[in-house]
This record gives sequence, C-alpha cells and structure tokens, in this order.
Amino acid sequence: MQPVVHFRNVNKYYGSSLAVDNLDLAIEPGQFVTLLGPSGCGKSTTLRMLGGFEMPTSGEIFLDGQEISQLPPNKRNVNIVFQDYALFPHLNVRRNVAFGLELKGMASDAIHKRTMELLSLVKLTDFAERMPGQLSGGQRQRVALMRALAPNPNVLLLDEPLSALDAKLRQQMQIELKSIQKTTGKTFIFVTHDQEEALTMSDVVVVMNAGRIEQMGDPHTLYARPRSRFVANFIGETNFIEGKLKAVDGGLAAIEWNGSVVHANLNGHSPTIGSTVAAALRPESISVRSEKPANTIAVSGRITQRIFKGDHTSLTVDLPGDQSVVAQLDPVALSAVTGDDVWLTWRESDAVVLAD
Amino acid sequence: MRSYFSDFPKTALQASYWLFVIYLLLPLALMMAISFKDANFVAFPIDKWTLKWYAQVLQDKQFLEACLYSIFIALMTTLFATIVGVWIALLITTEGMIARSVIFALACLPAVVPGLINAISMRIFIRVLDIPTGTGAIILGHTVHAVPFVVIMVLTRLRSMPNNLVDAARDLGADSFVAFMRVTLPYLAPALAGGMVFCVLTSIDDFVRTFFLGGYQTTLPMLIFAKVQGGMSPEINAMATLVLIVTAAVGLYAEHLTRRSRTR
Repeated sequence: MQPVVHFRNVNKYYGSSLAVDNLDLAIEPGQFVTLLGPSGCGKSTTLRMLGGFEMPTSGEIFLDGQEISQLPPNKRNVNIVFQDYALFPHLNVRRNVAFGLELKGMASDAIHKRTMELLSLVKLTDFAERMPGQLSGGQRQRVALMRALAPNPNVLLLDEPLSALDAKLRQQMQIELKSIQKTTGKTFIFVTHDQEEALTMSDVVVVMNAGRIEQMGDPHTLYARPRSRFVANFIGETNFIEGKLKAVDGGLAAIEWNGSVVHANLNGHSPTIGSTVAAALRPESISVRSEKPANTIAVSGRITQRIFKGDHTSLTVDLPGDQSVVAQLDPVALSAVTGDDVWLTWRESDAVVLAD
Repeated sequence: MRSYFSDFPKTALQASYWLFVIYLLLPLALMMAISFKDANFVAFPIDKWTLKWYAQVLQDKQFLEACLYSIFIALMTTLFATIVGVWIALLITTEGMIARSVIFALACLPAVVPGLINAISMRIFIRVLDIPTGTGAIILGHTVHAVPFVVIMVLTRLRSMPNNLVDAARDLGADSFVAFMRVTLPYLAPALAGGMVFCVLTSIDDFVRTFFLGGYQTTLPMLIFAKVQGGMSPEINAMATLVLIVTAAVGLYAEHLTRRSRTR
C-alpha cells in the first residue's frame, strides 16, 4: 500500500540547532499514529512541517504520493487540531466548524447539513449557536476536532490536544478520539509526550528523541520489546540489568550481573561477547519468592520499601552491590515486609537486551 | 480586594476623590446652567430660564456648517489613521526586538510632541511641498496626531491574540489575505472601534494644528474661538454644551462596546 504520509530524508534546522534529523517515516492510511517523545524531540516540528507551518531545511514530504514540502498550509489536504484549540472567538460553534467549508466554496445548505452532522457526532448540536468562550474545555476540544474534520482532510493532525484537560476528561477524550478515528477511517497523527496516552490510542507509536526516530511499532511491541534504553525508560517503568556478556545461545544472552549470571532475550541485537550490555526488565515481569526457587536462575535481595498502590504493590529490592530493583506484585501475593530477604526470578524472554 | 493605605481613615480617601469630581464637574455644570439663562451676559444668578440659545444655535448656519466640516475632517482623519495605524501595528509584531522598539517609538512620537511645535513644523513642511493650507493639510496634520492612538490600541489587542488563530485559518484553507480579513480583523474589532472613536474625538477637539494648517473654512473649535473673541454669551455655552453631550455620549458608547466584546 502506498503510504499516505511519507517523510524522506527530512532535516529541519532552527539556526544552527537541528530539530529534526534525517527523518524517514512512512505512515499507512487509516491508522492512528502517535509521535511520542519528550519536549524538544522534534515531534511537534515534524507535525508542523506536515501541516505547512514549517518548511523542511532539506528533504521531501509526500502526501498521497504528491510532494508537498514547500506548499503553504491552505494548499494541503491536512488539517490540524491545535494544543489550545485556536477556536475563532468571534464566531459561534457552527460558524467555527463551517469555516473550512465556506472557504471551499460549498453551497450554504450543504455547509449547514455537514456542520450539523459533525456536531451531532460529538453531541453538540444544542451548542451550535454558542460562542467558544461559553464552552467547557472538553466541548471546545470537540469543536476544534470537528472543525478540522469538516473539510474532509486526508490526514488529521493533533498537536497535544488533550494536555489542557483534567485527568478524567482526558481519559474520556482518548476513548472518544479513538472511536472517531475508527468511524471516520481517517489517518490520525497525534503528538504527545504522555506515554500512557500513546499506548491507549495508537495503532502505531513512533518514539522520537533528539530529532530522530528511536523506535516505531505497535504499543505492545514497544512496551514488551523496547529497542533502546531511551524507549525502555520513556515507556513505563523499567529495571536495567547491566553487565558483561558471558555467552550467547539460541537468542538468549547470558549476562554477568551482581555476581550471578542471568539470562535475557537478545531481541535481534548481536553484541560482542565480553562487552558490557544492558537489558530491560519490567517490574511486573519479576516474580518475588520468599524461598530460593529450584530449577531456575534467581537473584537474592532485601526489600527496602513496600508501597501499596491499589491494584498492585510495588517493592523496592536492594541487591548485593549498589543496585536495586523495583518489582510489582499482586497486593496479597506475598506477605513479605520491608527488611525481609527475597528471591527474584523472571522468564528469560521477559528481559530484553537493549541497543546502546 | 486589595487595600492600600489601610491605616488611613477611609473617609480621607473618599473625600479627596469627591473633591476631584467636584473640580472636574462643577465648571461643566456651571457652563451648562448658563446656557439656559435668559439674559445676554454670562454671570450668576440665573433669574429666568430659556431654551432660546439652543434654538438660535441650531438655526445658526455658520455653526452647522462648522459642525459638518469638523465631522468630515474627523472621519477622513479616522479613515487614514486607522489604515496607517493597523499597518504599523502589524509591522511591529512581525519585526525583531530592536526594529520593533524603534518603529513603535517613532509611531508614538506625534502623541508626545507638543501640538504647537508639531503644527508649526507641519506648516513649514507643507509650504516646502507646495501643499495649500486647507482641508487636505488639516487632515494630514490630524492623521499624524491620531495614528499613535490606533497603533497603541491595536497593538495591545494583537498581543492578546492567540498565535495560532491565523495558523488555524490558514490550515482551513485561507490564504494570508483571507485569514487577515476573516480572523485578524474581526479579532481587532473592539480595538479598532476604540481607536477610531479616539481619532474622531482628537480630530474634532484639535485647535492648534487646524489653526496653522487651515484655510478659510472654519472648524468647530475655530468657530467657538472666534465667537469667544467677540465676547462671551450664553450662546457659546449652548454650543459647548451640545458638543460636550455628543462627544461624551460617543465616547462612553465606544467604551461600552469595547468592554462588551472584551468580556466575550
């Protein structure tokens, strides 16, 4: 399938600082794609280049196979939902949504019909004559969304649109956005720094760092198989196993760690034996025992902190040497308390070797 | 609510406020009272009341012509000053820090240069350019004086305008001209209304510039000046009262309009 959006060798400099570094990114049509990364990673610049608000310093951007990188925003069939919504304060809800349709020269009864359809999609028909200033944050958000969808763009861009909402409303809007994306079948490109938001909504997550793509994949792969330390750290909570690589055998690495040898999934990497490698291990992959388990590799340590978090309990376990590990377990699974000695084990495939 | 000078007796602050109000309003009130006086000289007490001065003023062709002439000059001044002022304000927001402050300082200069100096220099200037004194010269003079008010009001409003409103319009298919007409200009409307009223009022009020730049036709302030030269009479009070009421009404209404759209 031809990608709906394609960045080819795109660089963007602001003065001498590099915001986007040789970006190559192809996005399939109909997907919910999230650009995820810390502030300054180039995700917003990437979005703004696609919207036409920034021009790449070099490289090409294709929309539906057509080169668009130097076109002004009004000549591109993409629309954007801004972080602060950017609703026109002097126009009511209906006129805001109709704005793009009016500029397309659509007949006024057709505009009215489409506007009302869109507003009913988000249950705002009763608010059609209100001014933006009379709406709540969530309502403004929906109006901005419908205004951007109204001209029927190929691709909808969303620039951290949920960051101004409170936590509860944000969750609700995440679900709503996802369902609107499904019903319209449009390609959504969503920018956020919130990893939970990215995991919740996306078909594909593109993790960016320092103007480059760190890893791109579906949420589960990113979480379970992070390629780099950055991705492992940015998405979810992670323990790092760092040590000398002793041996490689059938996709597994044997790493010398804290005096014992533990195993981790090589995850497609091929580090040289004898070099120092790091592997990521999610807290919920660790099982905590009070007795040393038989037939499996286990590491011993002492619980220094036990925190009840409702749906789980978080344990901090100090290992001999200077390291500590965070493990997550069922609140009632283990009666061990702070100060107890425990054994930690995990499935070999759950620890993932990282590129460094 | 914050309270300053909280260890002062509150009545002292209130009293000084009322003193100020009395000093402001009493002369106006006296002027208005005498315009209803049925006698030929301006003095108290008023024994008999009348509306005849108003009837006389409203039938005074000279007065009505001067009014129309002043309004015409004010409207032309407003038109030019608004165009130039908006243009300068937009230019300021697109320039870098240094250019911005220079442009702003120059644009505001006419508001602080003494009117007399301004008027004399312009008189000399139009001589050099061979522009005759009269309507055109007056409008030019008034426009230069009015521009800073438009610039300041528009600039203030522009600063509060979210950056991405224009981006949103562009994104939805507007070219930069359409985006300006359909988004920026409506957003500026309250500031424009306020700035325009200011232009009208400063132009109608202006005496010094008109005196140096004007021709034979008299504007309202010049007519009143000429009448005062010929001796005070309640007729002048009636004229002044009319001017006061109209300008105050226009000013307050504009203020009301600006405030309403600001809270929206």
